[in-house]
Amino acid sequence: MDLSIVNNDYYLSGMAALVGDIDKQLMIMLRDGRTLIAYLRSLDQFGNLVLHQAFERICVGRQYADIPRGLFVIRGENVLLIGELDFHQPIRVQLVEVTIEEILKLQKEDIEKKGRIEKLRQKAMIEHGLIDEGNPIEEHY
Amino acid sequence: MLPLTLLRTAVYHPMLVELKNGETYNGNLLSCDNFMNIHLRDVICTSRDGDRFWKIPECYIRGNTIKYLRLPEDILGLVKEDVNEKPSRSGSSNRRPFRGRGDGGRGGYGGRGGGGGGDQRNNYKGSGGGRGGHQGSRGGGRGGGAGGGGQLRQGR
Repeated sequence: MDLSIVNNDYYLSGMAALVGDIDKQLMIMLRDGRTLIAYLRSLDQFGNLVLHQAFERICVGRQYADIPRGLFVIRGENVLLIGELDFHQPIRVQLVEVTIEEILKLQKEDIEKKGRIEKLRQKAMIEHGLIDEGNPIEEHY
Repeated sequence: MLPLTLLRTAVYHPMLVELKNGETYNGNLLSCDNFMNIHLRDVICTSRDGDRFWKIPECYIRGNTIKYLRLPEDILGLVKEDVNEKPSRSGSSNRRPFRGRGDGGRGGYGGRGGGGGGDQRNNYKGSGGGRGGHQGSRGGGRGGGAGGGGQLRQGR
């Protein structure tokens, strides 16, 4: 493929804008809150992506860990954000790498904590008559 | 290599499918289509929390409920081979049926033209049969031959 059109002044609208990012290492955030870092190998008009050598980065506070995930085909609807990683930029926030077990434990605690806060919020909202008790707002889709 | 092409290459391979609701399905891909609907065999379904499991011999998943698929890494190598193979394969298969059809069709016309050769205007129609033979190939030739036979018989 001739990529010269991608480098300069031309802007391809829609998913074609990402053609220039093929074979680059990107960060992909999904609608469920997961963050992947992977090489983009291919995409189509629906935004479906093929990600290679992907790893999932879990970040809790300043700690993080990468879980290798391999090859992905992501259905386009579930993508929230795609961004190019720039390794030449100085790192502003220093993250500390921890083991996968540790980060999973931290993540679990974090989710439980957020769940408790959310429950309190819901309770308060119900008390003030802002939401209906029968239809609690849930993240499920 | 489009994402759905890759998926098609992954037929009969094991894979993990996560749905939008968080359930995951591990199984072998039987088939898939352009809507990303997929048909799995020997499936293990895992609940959203990952604490409950179900074994399902076969299941069909509607494409629009899928969040992502995780494929074995060697699929990428397979799809590259497929891409290399396809042009040569389609090239030869494109030509052959075309020629084959030419044989049959023109041969048929030539034959009919020849049959007409038995009529009064045998010269004109006989040459039509002959033309069929030229443009086509063996079949056409045979048609022309039959036309000749008609002419002979007419002569007698």
